[in-house]
Amino acid sequence: MTRYRIADDVAWVSEEGLDGGDAPTAYLTRVPKGPPILLEGSGCVVWLALAEGGTMEDVVAAAAAMAGAGAEDIRDDVETLVDQLVVIGVVRED
Amino acid sequence: MSDEGEGRSAPIAARVHLAHAVVQKLADDRSIDLLHLKGPAVLPGLRPEGRQSSDVDVLVRPSHLPRLVAALESVGFEQRTDFSTGSVFAHAANWWHDDWGWVDVHTSWPGVMLDAEAAFDVLARTSVQRQIAHWDCPVPDRTAQRLILVLHSARSEGTTDVDHAWLGAEPAERDDVRRLAAELRAEVALAAGIGELDRHRGAPTYALWRHFTEGGSRFDEWRARFAAAPTVRAKVALLTAAMRVNRDHLRMELGRPPTREDVRARQRLRVKKAVAELSDRIGRS
Repeated sequence: MTRYRIADDVAWVSEEGLDGGDAPTAYLTRVPKGPPILLEGSGCVVWLALAEGGTMEDVVAAAAAMAGAGAEDIRDDVETLVDQLVVIGVVRED
Repeated sequence: MSDEGEGRSAPIAARVHLAHAVVQKLADDRSIDLLHLKGPAVLPGLRPEGRQSSDVDVLVRPSHLPRLVAALESVGFEQRTDFSTGSVFAHAANWWHDDWGWVDVHTSWPGVMLDAEAAFDVLARTSVQRQIAHWDCPVPDRTAQRLILVLHSARSEGTTDVDHAWLGAEPAERDDVRRLAAELRAEVALAAGIGELDRHRGAPTYALWRHFTEGGSRFDEWRARFAAAPTVRAKVALLTAAMRVNRDHLRMELGRPPTREDVRARQRLRVKKAVAELSDRIGRS
């Protein structure tokens, strides 16, 4: 079973660490060359779910719990975003 | 430090956090010893909640500076001030990056009179890891951070940093800070930060710290710096620098490289200001 986690060369900060605004927001980058990447709203929720690591099922379940949504309602969007994050190298598949 | 814009995307608070991680990654890859200071590097309880920093401050082991400079510039940082023009203490220089903003690289901390390499050893000896942007960054321990914040406050005409870092410390914690200050030969600067400067009236750096805590003219500052310069060579270097327009700061002020005419105009202004200050003094005496 494939597991997903944030790549080792990624630094990131979410609004909790910044005392920021209302919308969930995360800023991340591959160090040291960047560039900074912004994940807002549901993108940030998926990122925070990925921070725990786990299978796609785990990530979907964590994101659904954070968003107060049904897992089946968000599964496709979560899978699409996770795939994109894997492609740009900020999420690793193990 | 003036800002050169918001960077390419992230707001200042986010990019400062990420920039600490970027600098630490560069250091990790090249075995460069450094400590992260101020901003998100400050340990909980030592600063008012919600304070945001606009730049990254790091203290590098002086002998590792050339490696850090090469590392920063390898990823697009551009040097904007050098160590002779970055501050009155010649202790820091600044680099700018369009994504990460300002990084201030310090080789020593103003007020610490111990040799900079030895001082780094003292501060690094008890350093702790703090996660900044989920990246492990070495930072000074609580005692050293209290001292660093008080020394910073002392040369910034007092800040609320002292309320948390010193007034908020238990007596035993203050004793620890005093012991560390003695080891780093920073007693005069610490005294300036906590209102005990009069105990050091005979110290060569007394006038300088009184200037920082109480203010005064540029002339007073130069006189105090001259008195504080420990060697004849240092005094000569100071006098030479006093007559030179700071091209780095002029560039930041103008937002472009200064022309020869800009420098000449600023030089005329400096001479005019100096003459006006002296005239005031003569008029008052």
